[in-house]
Amino acid sequence: MPDIKQIVLERDLNPYHSFFASFFGGLAELGMLNQGSINIVSKRAADYLYAYLDAKEILPDMNAVPGDTSAEVIKNLILYVNKILSLVGEYDLKEAEQDQVVLLISGDTCRICPKGVGGAAVKGTLCPVPSLLEGLINKLAQKEMVKLITSGIEKEGSTCKAYYQVLN
Amino acid sequence: MAQTLSNQLDIILNTFERNVPYVQATAIVSTDGLVIASRLPDKVEEDRIGAMGAAILSISSRSGDELDRGDMERVLIEGKSGFLLLHSIGADAILVSLADKEVRLGMLFYECKKCINQLNEIL
Repeated sequence: MPDIKQIVLERDLNPYHSFFASFFGGLAELGMLNQGSINIVSKRAADYLYAYLDAKEILPDMNAVPGDTSAEVIKNLILYVNKILSLVGEYDLKEAEQDQVVLLISGDTCRICPKGVGGAAVKGTLCPVPSLLEGLINKLAQKEMVKLITSGIEKEGSTCKAYYQVLN
Repeated sequence: MAQTLSNQLDIILNTFERNVPYVQATAIVSTDGLVIASRLPDKVEEDRIGAMGAAILSISSRSGDELDRGDMERVLIEGKSGFLLLHSIGADAILVSLADKEVRLGMLFYECKKCINQLNEIL
């Protein structure tokens, strides 16, 4: 079991972060959850979160989302989502190759990682963030704005990277 | 010209399907639940086959360990319309095959082993 006290304090977790990460981590340790199934259920969760934001009347006005380019709009939508859900601490979105953006997350600041926070001792990745954001951005934009290129997250040192195709 | 890994995998799956009458679809998925190669009908959602195939195999393997059944050989699910067969390919991949009820299971198992031996050499 990881040093939970340290993780809670350093990553500034709320109870839902702890529950979500440890719950998913536990399912993964039982063999019931893998990156492929997380990709599928995260998109489903995005639909429910969108409905939640709608019910609470806190959906962003897409006409007022700042940004001269699609990449800038996507960046601001992620900022908005992260402000509400508090998924990750430090992150950045950068333009990659043509029509692609890359989401860079400092892995040790992620609050919902089933491995880093939830303690799942399994091989491979278990990241819900890329597909959750893909689903939420497309729902908020009311169009297919981004498509996740990577199957989940790619680890590079302590940085977690996800690549998206910007569709329009 | 050297073949790409993707081409090689497709050839192996194609040969497997041709050698075993009534095999309807095949896929190779990672233990992460992500599809590496597949020959699936249009109506089958590739992402779901990958995620569920890996989860079923993983749970079966864990159950086998817990119940002291030794290393898992395969998982066979029998439905009214046919079979779903899952085989490990080494530690990191899985062969998924869907077969009609008419398939000869002995032939299916035998060809699966041959196919896995070939896949083990290139994955």
